[in-house]
Amino acid sequence: MRRAKFCINSMWLGTVLAVLCGLATAQQALDLEGHAVNPFAAASGKPVVLIFLRRDCPVSGRYAPVIQKISNEYANRATFWLVYPDKTDSPQEIRKSVADYGYHLPVLRDPEHALVKLSRVQITPEVAVFDRDRQLIYDGRIDDWYIDLSRARPAPTTHELRDAITAATAARTTLAQKEVRGVGCYISDVE
Amino acid sequence: MSFPLRSILLVLLSSTLAPMLPAQSSGPASQLTFNRDIAPIVFRSCSTCHRPGEAAPFSLLNYSDVKKHARQIADVVRSRTMPPWLPEPQELKFADELRLSDADMNRIVTWVEQGAVEGAPADLPPAPRFVQGWRLGQPDLVLKAEKPLILPPEGTDTYWNFIFRLPIQQTKWVKAVEIRPGDKQYVHHANILVDRAHASRQRETDPGAGFGGMEIRIESQVFDPDSHLLFWKPGTIPYVEPEGMALRLDKGTDLVLNTHLQPSGKPEVIQPSIGLYFTDHPATKLPMLLQLENDLKLDIPPGEKDFLVTDDFTLPVDVDLMAIYPHAHYLGKDIQAQATFPDGTKKTLIHIPQWNLNWQAVYRYAEPVLLPRGTTISLRFSYDNSVENPMNPNHPPLRVKGGNRSTDEMCHLWLQVLPVNFDAANGDPRMVLQEALARHNVEKNPADFEAHYNLGAMLQARGNLDAALAEYQAAVKLRPDDATGNNALGAALVQGGHPAQAVSYLQAALKARADYFDAHYNLGFALAQQDDFAGAVEQFQAALRLQPQDAAVEANLGAALAEMGRYADARAHFQHALLLDPTQPIAKENLEALKEMNPR
Ligand code: HEC
Repeated sequence: MRRAKFCINSMWLGTVLAVLCGLATAQQALDLEGHAVNPFAAASGKPVVLIFLRRDCPVSGRYAPVIQKISNEYANRATFWLVYPDKTDSPQEIRKSVADYGYHLPVLRDPEHALVKLSRVQITPEVAVFDRDRQLIYDGRIDDWYIDLSRARPAPTTHELRDAITAATAARTTLAQKEVRGVGCYISDVE
Repeated sequence: MSFPLRSILLVLLSSTLAPMLPAQSSGPASQLTFNRDIAPIVFRSCSTCHRPGEAAPFSLLNYSDVKKHARQIADVVRSRTMPPWLPEPQELKFADELRLSDADMNRIVTWVEQGAVEGAPADLPPAPRFVQGWRLGQPDLVLKAEKPLILPPEGTDTYWNFIFRLPIQQTKWVKAVEIRPGDKQYVHHANILVDRAHASRQRETDPGAGFGGMEIRIESQVFDPDSHLLFWKPGTIPYVEPEGMALRLDKGTDLVLNTHLQPSGKPEVIQPSIGLYFTDHPATKLPMLLQLENDLKLDIPPGEKDFLVTDDFTLPVDVDLMAIYPHAHYLGKDIQAQATFPDGTKKTLIHIPQWNLNWQAVYRYAEPVLLPRGTTISLRFSYDNSVENPMNPNHPPLRVKGGNRSTDEMCHLWLQVLPVNFDAANGDPRMVLQEALARHNVEKNPADFEAHYNLGAMLQARGNLDAALAEYQAAVKLRPDDATGNNALGAALVQGGHPAQAVSYLQAALKARADYFDAHYNLGFALAQQDDFAGAVEQFQAALRLQPQDAAVEANLGAALAEMGRYADARAHFQHALLLDPTQPIAKENLEALKEMNPR
């Protein structure tokens, strides 16, 4: 409420405030009912893993079984969210996609890329792992299964997401790499 | 509400920088727009696959479609991942080449770097129009796989074979086949094999459900080279055979659709169908498939980065080369085929510098390529079995040999050729070619069972029985327990008038494969020729249990029974044979003979 008022009252500040005004909603990720959700508030002190997906991205799709496996395995140690950054995706379309792939994870839309920016991710599928203090400790690919868009290994040889969750849950483990870009679809293409 | 303020700053920053950086630092390139510069390329080179119902995962039909994938598009056209096209440009042009010109590629990349601007609506060319449904109109016959395959969401690529049982009652000539492989997004490629002897049905555990397997081979009993490459890959437009090159399909023929499927992350239902277009014109030109290969040389040590396999075959007749289909698995690296003409000049037939099994394809030449007699076709395939080959199925690398599993390797090159400038009086030029190829394979690998077997079959078909026997004997010596080899040797001995010698080989064939119809049939025949009719009856009965609808077996069984004096039983079998095939000559003749013996 207050924000809306602020917005209207501040017209004289011109473009800058218009942007800020947009931001007030921009930093909200939304659930599929359109309510603003803070994925960290619900984490009850556990590390948070954000998994960025695009519905129209085949590599995103093929990772579904991997994502399910890892999120099941670490269900007690971290909180997982699926995040859809394409603002043209309707909640119904996302709901259908989530059901088709058989996900049982909570879902967020991130139409203004607030979470994208917070997480520094650039591609789908990529993940961001935040430790208990909400520090971003890793962003990037899940593993090295894909070499490029037309070639995948028979099986991955590195496991960045697992390593990051382990690091986030262990007391003081450091990661070799805090950021490894993934293979898939650019998030900036849907800005 | 507790997002760190940092994120707000980031948004502000990036939103002021939002437009992408200009392309060249060396002076401003002129502004490219989608409507004027890019749409024509996309409509021509991308939209065929990138539209609803086609193979690509999203549509590229208008500005917003393309904008939503702009950076990725720049990446994939720059790396030449898209459009999918593996061969390097060469003098001998392929039909339906998908490769983008350098100019078009640069235009797309520059446009994206300039910020992917839409441009003036007036510049937009009309949207591409596509034929809905069957590309060539309603087919004369549509066949749907009896049972769908449920493709699991994960795991390695799946190779599945669907059998289509043709419901035709007489011979048909096919001028075109449209393959609808099921949901095209999950089918990498598919090709049809013609199975004239129901060899594949035995591999179905659940009738109608198909069977797994990447490389399937179909034995054919007569010299009848399947001369057509019926191949589907994303974007394939059905190919209408040139006049006179129709494919023959007989009553009882099966078509086997071999598909390569890629899991999508969710379960998918795959149920292909095929549409056949008939013509009244029987084939007058008979092309054939030449297979160059050297699988026996595939023994690739772990760590080997550049393992070279070659094969060189010199043509004994003039041919027109119509199409080419190279095939290797995951270690394949640089794939090349070259023709050296009789005058010593060389031309590249195909060169794929970075093999990718996922995009394998049949390549048709824009114009047939004349390869005169004396031209040598050379294949040079190299393989990378090191850790640096990310597609390597083994971690750490293992020794890999030739074989049919996807983790084995292959070195095959198929050429569709049409013999030309020949004198029909000298016999079918395809036989000359096939015999030369079989001889070449025997010389190349004297320990190659199949090479001896194929040469034997070819010599037998050409009426050179003694030479054929020698090849079959060589084959059986290499694989004494092989059912096919023993049966062929036995059959050739029977044909040569040595039924007594044939028996032990036919028995060996049955020991190796108890349900081997041909071997039962041949053994029955060999025993009957030695007047062991009781033994013959037993064999024909066994054959009949395997193929109850076979009129020839019924007739032979009747004949053996008649020889034993069991006329009533004999008559019943002759009658059944005629029911199955009213023209069955042995049954007809014997029934008449029975009537004369016992005119009632
Ligand atoms: C012959 C059919 C065909 C043509 C023509 C084609 N594509 Fe594709 N494209 C595909 C298929 C199939 C895929 C999915 C690949 C996969 O799943 O690995 C694809 C995927 C893509 C992707 C996404 C890559 C990924 O895996 O996420 C992009 C981007 C793309 N194509 C752009 C283009 C552009 C641009 C053109 C034209 C210049 C083009 N394509 C022409 C069939 C085609």
